Amino acid sequence: MSVGRRDILRAGGGIVALLAAATRPAGAAGVVDIAMGGRSDGGHVWFDPLGLLVAPGQTVRWTNRDAGNAHTATAYHPAIGDRPSRIPAGARPWDSDYLLPGESFSVRLTVPGVYDYYCVPHEQAGMVGRIVVGDAGADRRAAEAAVGDLPDAALRAFPPVAAILRHGIVRGS
Amino acid sequence: MKTLLPLLAAFALAGAAPALAHGPDAALAEAPPAAPYQPVSALVTLPDFIPGLGQLFVDPATLPAGPFLAYDRDGALVSTVYMIPLADLNPDTAFDDLAAAGGTVDHVDIHYNAGHPGVEVPHAHIVLWHVPADEEARVAQ
Repeated sequence: MSVGRRDILRAGGGIVALLAAATRPAGAAGVVDIAMGGRSDGGHVWFDPLGLLVAPGQTVRWTNRDAGNAHTATAYHPAIGDRPSRIPAGARPWDSDYLLPGESFSVRLTVPGVYDYYCVPHEQAGMVGRIVVGDAGADRRAAEAAVGDLPDAALRAFPPVAAILRHGIVRGS
Repeated sequence: MKTLLPLLAAFALAGAAPALAHGPDAALAEAPPAAPYQPVSALVTLPDFIPGLGQLFVDPATLPAGPFLAYDRDGALVSTVYMIPLADLNPDTAFDDLAAAGGTVDHVDIHYNAGHPGVEVPHAHIVLWHVPADEEARVAQ
């Protein structure tokens, strides 16, 4: 059964839809895309997909598909805004800076583990995402237990690592 | 005395009329509005024209609340917008005497907004429309 965004919205907010039952990393052969979206009235914003499984060495590309807003894809890391580290040890953090509608930013992820990131102007509204590279390994437990100084809305939005490993792609409401 | 009453009433009505229905300040009626207003897109990273709101200008000294002046693609003023962080709606914070130079208000919309550059927290958009509801489409796209 396929569940689309509209169906999820009808079912109510907060529901996490699990799509694409593939257990291998998404788009293993090339660049994997994540859209930055927003409702036309600015009342709801998101990364789509919310959770993503990729292979070590794959490139992830974020594109702003929201005609009325700017977004960032920013890794949780002390080097960027003195935020708690939520990427694997040894991995290089990234910050796209603000992307206007139609603009893109790419990063190649080589270190296996769990990467959490956020949108700077929308973290308080829960616009975060999670990427698992390869086998989450030791990162899995740490990622799910970490709290740091994140807003509640952000902590509630991260999809479970197990769901990403099982489904490859996790979409939000 | 009787002869003065109609005159006093006429003066009272004449004085009240501008408060009931008046246009915007001439310096603000068309984009770009006069200084100290500046394009929001020049102050923060946002599209120059925001679908649903229009082209926004603000006096930086009034941030984050505004007023923001919103214009359609022909440069006509369509609304005055205030942006109030939800966290500031508390017993210790008030927003008093916000300027309202946009003229007659036809109707008001209040929307939740998840945030954007310049106001990076969830907040309320309070939109004082200076055009009828069926003309909001002027800034839809």
